Amino acid sequence: MATHKISLTVNGVLEQAEVPSNMVLLTLLRERLGLTGAKNGCAAGECGACTVIMDGEPVNSCLVLAVEADGSEIVTVEGLSSESGLDPLQEAMIEVSGTQCGFCTPGVLISARAFLDRTPSPSEDEIKEALRGNLCRCTGYVRIVESVKIAAKGG
Amino acid sequence: MKSVRPGLPEFDYIRAETIEQVSELLKNGKPSRLLMGGTDVFVQMRDGAFSPAILVDVKHLPGMQSIQKTGNKGLRIGAAVDLNTLAGHPEVVKSFPLLAEAAQSVASYQLRSRATMGGNLCNASPAADTAPAALVLEAILVAQGSNGERRIPAHDFFTGPGQNALQDGEILTSIEIPPPPKGPVGRYLKLGRNAEGDLAIVGVAVLGYADKTSESGFRFRMALSSVAPTPIRVPTAEDILESRTIGDETISAAAQAARKTAKPIDDVRASAGYRSAMVEVHARRALHAVWTALGREA
Amino acid sequence: MTEKVGPKSFPSPIGESVPRIDALPKVTGEAKFTDDIQFGADLLYGRIVRSPHPHARIKRLDVSKALALPGVKAVVTGEDCKDRFGLYLKDRYTFCKERVRYVGDPVAGVVATSENLAEEASRLVEVEYEVLEPVLDPVAGVQKDSPLLHPQLKDYTVASFIYPKHGTNISNHFKLRKGDVEKAWSECSVIVEREYRVPHVQHTPIEPHITVAKQDRSGQITLWASSQSPFAQRDLIAASLGMSPRDVRVISPFVGGGFGSKAGVSMEALAVIMAQKVPGHPVKVRLTREEEFYCAFVRQGLVAKIKVGADAHGKLVAMKTEYYWDAGAYTEYGVNITRAAGYSCTGPYDVPNVWTDSYCVYTNHPVGGPMRGFGMPEIHWGIEQTMDQLAEELGMDKLEFRLKNCLREGSITATGSAIHPIGVAECAAKAAEAIDWGEKESSSAPHKLRGKGLAIMWKAPAMPPNAGSSALIRFNEDATVSVGIGGQELGQGAHTIAAQIAAASLGVPMDWIRISGPIDTQYSPYEWQTVASRITWSMGNAIIDAAKDARRQIFDLVAQQWEETPADLDIRDGQVISYKSERSEPLENLVVYGLPKEDDSGWRGGPIIGRGSFMPDYVSALDPETGQGPRAVVHFTAGCQAVDLEVDTETGKIELLRVVSAFDVGKAINPDQVRAQMEGGVVQGASTTLLEQLRLDEGFPINASFTDYRIASTMDMPGENISIIVEVPQDDGPWGARGIGEHSMVPTAPAIANALADAAGLRILDLPLSAERVFNALREKEGMP
Ligand SMILES: Cc1cc2nc3c(=O)[nH]c(=O)nc-3n(C[C@H](O)[C@H](O)[C@H](O)COP(=O)(O)OP(=O)(O)OC[C@H]3O[C@@H](n4cnc5c(N)ncnc54)[C@H](O)[C@@H]3O)c2cc1C
Ligand code: FES
Ligand code: FES
Repeated sequence: MATHKISLTVNGVLEQAEVPSNMVLLTLLRERLGLTGAKNGCAAGECGACTVIMDGEPVNSCLVLAVEADGSEIVTVEGLSSESGLDPLQEAMIEVSGTQCGFCTPGVLISARAFLDRTPSPSEDEIKEALRGNLCRCTGYVRIVESVKIAAKGG
Repeated sequence: MKSVRPGLPEFDYIRAETIEQVSELLKNGKPSRLLMGGTDVFVQMRDGAFSPAILVDVKHLPGMQSIQKTGNKGLRIGAAVDLNTLAGHPEVVKSFPLLAEAAQSVASYQLRSRATMGGNLCNASPAADTAPAALVLEAILVAQGSNGERRIPAHDFFTGPGQNALQDGEILTSIEIPPPPKGPVGRYLKLGRNAEGDLAIVGVAVLGYADKTSESGFRFRMALSSVAPTPIRVPTAEDILESRTIGDETISAAAQAARKTAKPIDDVRASAGYRSAMVEVHARRALHAVWTALGREA
Repeated sequence: MTEKVGPKSFPSPIGESVPRIDALPKVTGEAKFTDDIQFGADLLYGRIVRSPHPHARIKRLDVSKALALPGVKAVVTGEDCKDRFGLYLKDRYTFCKERVRYVGDPVAGVVATSENLAEEASRLVEVEYEVLEPVLDPVAGVQKDSPLLHPQLKDYTVASFIYPKHGTNISNHFKLRKGDVEKAWSECSVIVEREYRVPHVQHTPIEPHITVAKQDRSGQITLWASSQSPFAQRDLIAASLGMSPRDVRVISPFVGGGFGSKAGVSMEALAVIMAQKVPGHPVKVRLTREEEFYCAFVRQGLVAKIKVGADAHGKLVAMKTEYYWDAGAYTEYGVNITRAAGYSCTGPYDVPNVWTDSYCVYTNHPVGGPMRGFGMPEIHWGIEQTMDQLAEELGMDKLEFRLKNCLREGSITATGSAIHPIGVAECAAKAAEAIDWGEKESSSAPHKLRGKGLAIMWKAPAMPPNAGSSALIRFNEDATVSVGIGGQELGQGAHTIAAQIAAASLGVPMDWIRISGPIDTQYSPYEWQTVASRITWSMGNAIIDAAKDARRQIFDLVAQQWEETPADLDIRDGQVISYKSERSEPLENLVVYGLPKEDDSGWRGGPIIGRGSFMPDYVSALDPETGQGPRAVVHFTAGCQAVDLEVDTETGKIELLRVVSAFDVGKAINPDQVRAQMEGGVVQGASTTLLEQLRLDEGFPINASFTDYRIASTMDMPGENISIIVEVPQDDGPWGARGIGEHSMVPTAPAIANALADAAGLRILDLPLSAERVFNALREKEGMP
């Protein structure tokens, strides 16, 4: 099987890797780059736990080949906070318990961040719409939606 | 019992830069598969549906990701335009809101970042959500092969479940939407198990516009997804709506005609019987919505 | 009865909605789940060869082609397994020996250098089967001519309170006989008799099952597992290998949701057998999402026959139930669900005459196991719809009927004991009030019907009578506290509650506490399992006990130092104080290094470590013939949900406009987390009611993916999801607390069904209430084909 030399920016850091054709971006991030924030919940584009931002848009990283990400800019949940502090979404999630088991949380936060970037003052329906690809079995979504509302107001 | 792989089987990925390169690759005899967003390809490969030696990524071919106006308000949509870009494109929203609505009904935002309209059509699932829109907008699917360009009306494109009219070595490069009729109103109604985001149990696209040359003064086009081996147009319903005065009765008759045209099967999402009944309900609702909006405009 | 400990006046975190202590690592991505742990180059991967048949005999098994593939390190089969294992009934081998009993039953395991390679190799294992006739229905499964799935049932080791019927497919028959049911029917003026069906559903934690196992050269086995039950896994796996629990170590980092599926042992033992073949190498086995649906536990199916009668005044007189549980291929855990269903069969009602038979039936379906509610959502589906229909026939208001018949303090339960103070009526009344019970709301469109319904529930922790908890409290040099517990954080907030309880019972500020994690059977104190909504109560009591122990040591030391009596001392806000002398001393001056004796003659005290444990000592056996006994369980949590919905008569789609939950948690240690449990339970409950069913076609799962098996997304949220906390204290609960984790999805299904009945005047006795099923019922009611 062919391998490919790729380089991509992940959370602002330039990374280089040699990847086999059939490696997905999620595996590259988790198993090669040690960025285990994005999760594997289905490997089929269904659950959203693997969501990362690729060139400004959220994608299911289980359905993107690592080689397809060559030259792209990726943001994972690890890239949401910085030395200067947490993303307002993260703050809000802590404040209102938008997380329970936490397995869906990285994907939810990434979807929500990309969403707020394109829709700074959303309605509740828009929030639900934007998060419909992030399954959560714990929270009933109530506090997730609440977190996004709070972050939108604050931001 | 199908057993699903944890990851993708082995293949060689090749990013194609020119059509010629693709033709060469497809000719060399190795089993190969075209790739755009991969949201069907990867899932089906995990399921073991096929196992190509080569995946040819065609989404970076020139023009594949652009949307351009053609003369007279038509649009040329690159086959690899993703569904979010499609749904948010000002020209699509303005002239073909039905298409935006259909695109937006697919799965989730993050899936639509990758999923393309061309992929949706080529995959030729009976449940493909952009297919009914392509049918009622009478889109032309533009294919390139070693013998040059071929223009396939949407009507002729879907040949069976998972089957399309492309020939070996042909690739879909764009979808041309002809100029819309004057003052059109369109709706796509989709019924899934969840409130939103499921594959369709039934999908109904309706396009209506005023036309003095028809007996009713209007023309309607209707297409269905998920209720036949392919997405289908419903000429019987369209005829009724052209020939009779439009009102509740005519709309009901047309909806019943849609139900008769549908040839649904049982699957995990719904039974054939339920689908039949839902075709009628959703056809009626879509027609009502379009009719009401047309009335408002008139 | 737990003695009240802790500070008398300094602000206590008990009853405060303090933020979750695990939220920060979870929102930053720092939180490590099992698959996130990096094992380096030694790591190998395992994939499982599974039965493609519901029932078959293995005629030939040839692993040679798989073994020959470069990169394959080992292949294991049933021959590598020693003893059967199981929690209450040892009825399963890790890998099948001769017979496979469900689609997915593990036949062989392949270990290789990558997951993909293991997968490819697993496809090279050749298995020849002789297909056998399957058992696909629990009612058919108890018939005399049914194929027998476990002919050796009589040889299986079984818990004392489980009653297998040898020579049948019944692995437990729970019987309950109270009063004289047959005679009582004649006193009834209204009788309702129905048969209900509940299909299999799956927990679908968003994190699929995963285990990494490693055997080191000394023979010790270490597992890293996403687990609700590190200790039970250690114990059960060790027993199946003929090893001591000492030599099996289970480390369980953050768990991405369990809902029961990660309790006991399901797939974890597979990794262990594989790891034994490659000592020194960690072997990672993770279920794909597709496998998760049928190779981990599923919730058992149920056929429930219920007959209930009331007198002319609307008082319940008699109840007869038969439960046929579709418990699957192995029922090692499921047998106890069928027992819990048996002793809880009346629901939270006072019924003088009761007759119940609860049968746990082997079928060739996926393995039934615990799922949030442990049988209670399944039985309340029938109970609460039957009560509604009884009220209808009596012409009584459904709330009033329930208030009249529900358990109140001192009522006698089905098993013959007096119930503790319990807020069933209060929950029902509050939920009804919040939903504007009795007010008919108008629907939003002519083709929609609107209605309201409610359902009440009860549930006890179902566990062995002597399930225990323990806790360790260790002071650090600066008097901050490391709290060791074995209870797992599954998302339910257990560790936050543990920290609150530790802080309050010690008398130190909340932010002095750190919960020692991950749970590691080598260092963490024993905990039976994180199941049964028992952790706040049981582990909470163990923490209090440990705090008492630490405080006693501190008071002894300080009393000696100050020449006072311990009884006059207290700890408040991190200071030891004397109520008598009004002296005080910061804890940090004494909890590790002790205190200097007067005149420099030495030191006294030393590092303070509090140890505590809790085990209920009052749960009695029940008579095997009558199910009667002094105390069947530790306690019951009760509650009510009320639903306001609309149904689209043209599509059958139900839309939940408002759902109100009211549960009696005894005491809400953290009200926000209690509400979060109620909200999540409503959505999981609604999802299983409206959308979910694991479709088993002749035993073959046909919708094993999130594409084909839908669960609720944000778009399916109820319009409003309202939670009400009721607090009738539990005598032996920490500050009076009882559990709430499971209860919030117990009454959801019947509450929705009852609201649907109110809206549309129809009864549906089978789950789920899919749009298609509702549509068909509406058509049938209209007399249409
Ligand atoms: C979780 C999930 C949910 C989904 N939900 C929906 C839904 O609600 N509605 C819906 O309609 N679909 C749904 N889909 C299916 C899929 O996302 C869509 O069909 C999508 O539009 C496919 O586009 P793609 O670019 O990803 O196609 P790809 O997967 O790249 O390709 C699809 C097919 O077209 C072929 N192909 C690709 N490019 C070309 C070309 N240029 N010329 C000829 N053939 C080509 C490929 O070989 C393949 O057979 C879902 C998929 C997933 C994984
Ligand atoms: S892991 Fe990618 S969507 Fe589930
Ligand atoms: S918090 Fe557990 S899945 Fe969302």
